[in-house]
Amino acid sequence: MGVPTCPVVTVAFKQICVLNAAKRGMPTLRLVYSPHPVWGKSPDELWAYMNGPDPASGKPMLGEVKGALTNPLTAEDKKTGTETPSVGPATFGPDTSQNLQDFYRNNGYTDFLPIIIPTEEAVAQMLTGTSHHPDEIVGKLAAGAFAPWSFTVKHVAINAVMAGAKPEHLPVILAIASSGFVSLISSTNDLAYGALINGPIRSKLDMNSGIGALGPFAHANAAIGRAWTLVTKNLANGGIPGDTYMGTMGNMLNYINLIMVENEEASPWEPFHVEKGFKREENVVSMFSGLSVSAGQVGKGSGIGGTPHFEEQYTDLFSTFTGFFGALLLCDPLCAASLKEQGYSKAKLIDYFYKHATQTAKEYRERNWSYLFEYGQALKGVEPFATWYKLPDDTVIPKFPHPERIAVVVIGGQTDPVSQVANFSYGRSMSIDKWM
Amino acid sequence: MKIDRRRLLQALGMSPALLASTAEAGQKKTTHATARHSESKLVGLNPKGMPPEITLSPLAPRFSSLDGKTLYMVEIGFNNGDVFFQEMQRWFKENMPSVKTIYRRKAGAYPQDDPELWKEIKAAGAGVIMGVGH
Repeated sequence: MGVPTCPVVTVAFKQICVLNAAKRGMPTLRLVYSPHPVWGKSPDELWAYMNGPDPASGKPMLGEVKGALTNPLTAEDKKTGTETPSVGPATFGPDTSQNLQDFYRNNGYTDFLPIIIPTEEAVAQMLTGTSHHPDEIVGKLAAGAFAPWSFTVKHVAINAVMAGAKPEHLPVILAIASSGFVSLISSTNDLAYGALINGPIRSKLDMNSGIGALGPFAHANAAIGRAWTLVTKNLANGGIPGDTYMGTMGNMLNYINLIMVENEEASPWEPFHVEKGFKREENVVSMFSGLSVSAGQVGKGSGIGGTPHFEEQYTDLFSTFTGFFGALLLCDPLCAASLKEQGYSKAKLIDYFYKHATQTAKEYRERNWSYLFEYGQALKGVEPFATWYKLPDDTVIPKFPHPERIAVVVIGGQTDPVSQVANFSYGRSMSIDKWM
Repeated sequence: MKIDRRRLLQALGMSPALLASTAEAGQKKTTHATARHSESKLVGLNPKGMPPEITLSPLAPRFSSLDGKTLYMVEIGFNNGDVFFQEMQRWFKENMPSVKTIYRRKAGAYPQDDPELWKEIKAAGAGVIMGVGH
């Protein structure tokens, strides 16, 4: 654009900014640093920042700003051209299995647990799980606001071997990899990601949608989730603390992610993928992103006696969520059956949640994520945010901007009418059949 | 084609000692081959994908001085960024009064472009101070 610019960042982000300026082709970008944090500081405290040093250089911060905008450009500042980063050799070894385990782990290729060494033979066996050519480009992934990496079917197969997957799991892993969804993102918030599997492939792969569906009770569930983490680390260059990962404390879901398999057979409603326009016999993976999963057992309406009011129970819990992410009800079939008996279709239930999970306009505007993600959209006239930012403080508005941010999935083994609720948003659905 | 792994590791910023330990382990194994079966060796594939090509972007020409110039303070949306820039405007008013400062909250979420604002800034011949994360 040709406009002299000085980016100012708090010093906690120095490393990520320097690394990513280089990746964006600006290794000499003139970054200036303020003390950290800015959030929560009073005007007087920020005035002290203005009159104090850049904590990285020790020199007056506003002096550094002035220098960034006026110091003459160097030869390095003016460089043009292209560079192709290297990821190293195509193979490692030959070496003992233990030495290779240590090598893969010490060089950031794993989730710190032992892997299956991806030998040429193991990868060739994995590739029998798909009809696609090993050199076919699957897609691109970026672990945040970075330039995306590309990868092939063979790259995915290598990571699938490492995760302990079987060849028959590969089409699901390829579908997830092709979705554009990473499972580790650079945000300072501790985000998590989920994948919901629908269709006949669930039984073909012995996936678990019953007792313990969200736990460590099925090979396919575990291996597919783990493969997604390794795909994110190795094919999106994600999950490098201080570079492509800044989650302040991480998320326990990140190990194998929220792998969900819908219990279509026990559900009184149509499956999730059919809601999204697929045929029941199609194999589909649907992608989600969000913050966390919590127990659905408590909340108003969970009292004993009379007709259970699960809809009130879940609404009470959804009201505590950030509306930036959606509401995902992981509904045990017993709860689903009760709701159906009371006249709730999925659509009617979602409508109930949308109308009854509420907040005031003041509460909305005072939430940090509203300002961070939605105020800017309000300035562009995007609804409902544009209207919400103008309403009187005590106006009651929905917690979620659109009913489409609310999803219901039936999952679980019917041993207890309890469900779980997740502050997760639906993203998109991908065909698994395409990758068979 | 023989791959010089030592030079490759050095080019990547990785210690060739990594190779030394495995080479040494290999040699030790070889010397004991007659005494016992040597542990089998494996070759593992590199699991990394393909990084994007980097196109170098030269910095825009700088001002010779800020006197009389216009600076846009572009706030990207992290909390308290507006107050941060309010204090920065105050600093310029007190210390460099010839500099005209204009505060703008960038439209859209923080990583999104704001082409209208960029056009305005360019047309004004101004410089930009953009921030501030967290």
